[in-house]
Amino acid sequence: MSRARVGAYALWQLRDYLKERGLSTIIVAALTAYLGLSTMTEAMPMPRPDDAISAELLVRFGSIDAVYTARMAEFNFHFTRSILGALVFLGALFAMNGIVANDRKLGFFRFLFAKPLTPSRYYGQAFMVHWLGFMVVMTLLGMSYGVVVSPVLTAPLLAVVALMFLAYAGIAFLLSAAARWDWLSLVVVTVAATFFWSKFGRSTHPLAKLLYLLPPMHRVDEVYVAVSGTPLLSAAPAAPVPWPLVGWLAGYGAICFLAGLLVLRVRRLAIV
Amino acid sequence: MIAFDHVGKRYRSPFGREVRALEDFSIELHAGEVFGVAGPNGAGKSTLISLLLGYLGPSEGTIRIAGLDPRRYVEAHGVSYLSELVNIPPGWRAEETLKRYALLAGVTADARDARVEAMIDWMGLGEHRAKRVKQLSKGTLQRLGLAQALLREERVIVLDEPTHGLDPVWTQRFRDVVTSLRRDDRVILIASHNLDELARLADRVAIIDHGRLQRVVDVRGVAEPNGGDRTPYRISLARGVDLLPAVFPHARAVGQGEYQLDGLTLDEVNVGLAALLAQGALVAMVYPVHSMLEQQFREAVGIGEESS
Repeated sequence: MSRARVGAYALWQLRDYLKERGLSTIIVAALTAYLGLSTMTEAMPMPRPDDAISAELLVRFGSIDAVYTARMAEFNFHFTRSILGALVFLGALFAMNGIVANDRKLGFFRFLFAKPLTPSRYYGQAFMVHWLGFMVVMTLLGMSYGVVVSPVLTAPLLAVVALMFLAYAGIAFLLSAAARWDWLSLVVVTVAATFFWSKFGRSTHPLAKLLYLLPPMHRVDEVYVAVSGTPLLSAAPAAPVPWPLVGWLAGYGAICFLAGLLVLRVRRLAIV
Repeated sequence: MIAFDHVGKRYRSPFGREVRALEDFSIELHAGEVFGVAGPNGAGKSTLISLLLGYLGPSEGTIRIAGLDPRRYVEAHGVSYLSELVNIPPGWRAEETLKRYALLAGVTADARDARVEAMIDWMGLGEHRAKRVKQLSKGTLQRLGLAQALLREERVIVLDEPTHGLDPVWTQRFRDVVTSLRRDDRVILIASHNLDELARLADRVAIIDHGRLQRVVDVRGVAEPNGGDRTPYRISLARGVDLLPAVFPHARAVGQGEYQLDGLTLDEVNVGLAALLAQGALVAMVYPVHSMLEQQFREAVGIGEESS
């Protein structure tokens, strides 16, 4: 018996991700960042070292360099907070769109799974590779922003990006394994979860417990705010990363991913 | 080696309408044989193959390959499979396609490049190796599909409409390929509309229609027709056409100098031919209107002689 070399096939899967999805993620992320920067700089001009500064700020921070650093941190905070959520969501959407469903719809599964290969192993690995690819893309984007504007990458930010990707991508993976219109389903789940949690999250009605079947998407902003840096000019203290909430979201995604693998174990591949 | 036991497959539409794609299908395929499946469009051939590969589950009955559930067998051992529609991502290049599938087929690292090269060579894909799948002609794509199926030596080979889109040269070469694939421990299943192809390649042919197994034709057995078969023959004479009505009173002209002889056994045709030759006629051509397999097929699916 000779099994498929699925592990070695990961390099092909990574190549596929970078060519077909990573590039689109970079283009859309760059456009989103550009539009975000354009809009933001109208209200808050990007700080420059030679900007005139008020005496109050000079007194507060002690030196011109420290004022510039504080203004840059404030700018980065607002910029990162405004686009990070969208980038992670779109990145997950691009990475998972049709990951299983396309092969089923287009019939590519026929040659693939005539080989000594299980669908759960193949697509489980594809999920992991796309996750890795997404992190490579996000790291490159963060580093590019760091070169052009100012460094923003931190370990907590990367960890949160990875875990929030898992939250969205896990749901998308399950939907792709179980249904045809996975990307649309992910948008519907995200919007519905946000809506129902916002509307009924504080209800004491027994049925409100059913909300726990949905991910707490209405609180994702808390997560992104916490890793967007410290707004040094604002009076508000920096919020710590709400790790239990991140764990809840990522755990939800992980459970969905495992459920997706289970679906692939039991569900027949041909679409009737 | 492969056993279908009272297998049925029903599809249900979203509105609850039920379609029976396969009904009470039972047959055993033995190691060492080439088994053909013939049937009109929509007869259930593709459903049968999807069930065999575990891409669909049966609604009734069981299927076993070497004693295992199909999916378990395929995931453990693999099957050489060419589908009717060759579905390969259009952006892949021909050589890349074979390298990817070789990896997934479990071809060992030391043998992989040589195996891919051998397939490229065998299927005449050398000049197309750098082309993308979307740039390949139908016939070349079919050959690429066959090449990926044969990357590894499997015990089960399933070919669905394998010569679809192939030119006559490659159709002939395909027959040589199948002949070379025959092995005592291997089953080759070929589903095809092409009865001539099945008659040449298969040992037995299952004829299915409306999801039911109509009959199994032992092709090797009927290759030598017995005297009782009454298949129509056509005859063409280079000399002595005027002698024909006396020998074959019911012969009817069908154009281009040919006459059709209906309702006669092979023995009766030969007796008549001997009489014609004895009287000085020169027979240019005599042939059965349908091959034996085709005749069986027509009877099984209820196609009348008038529709020929």
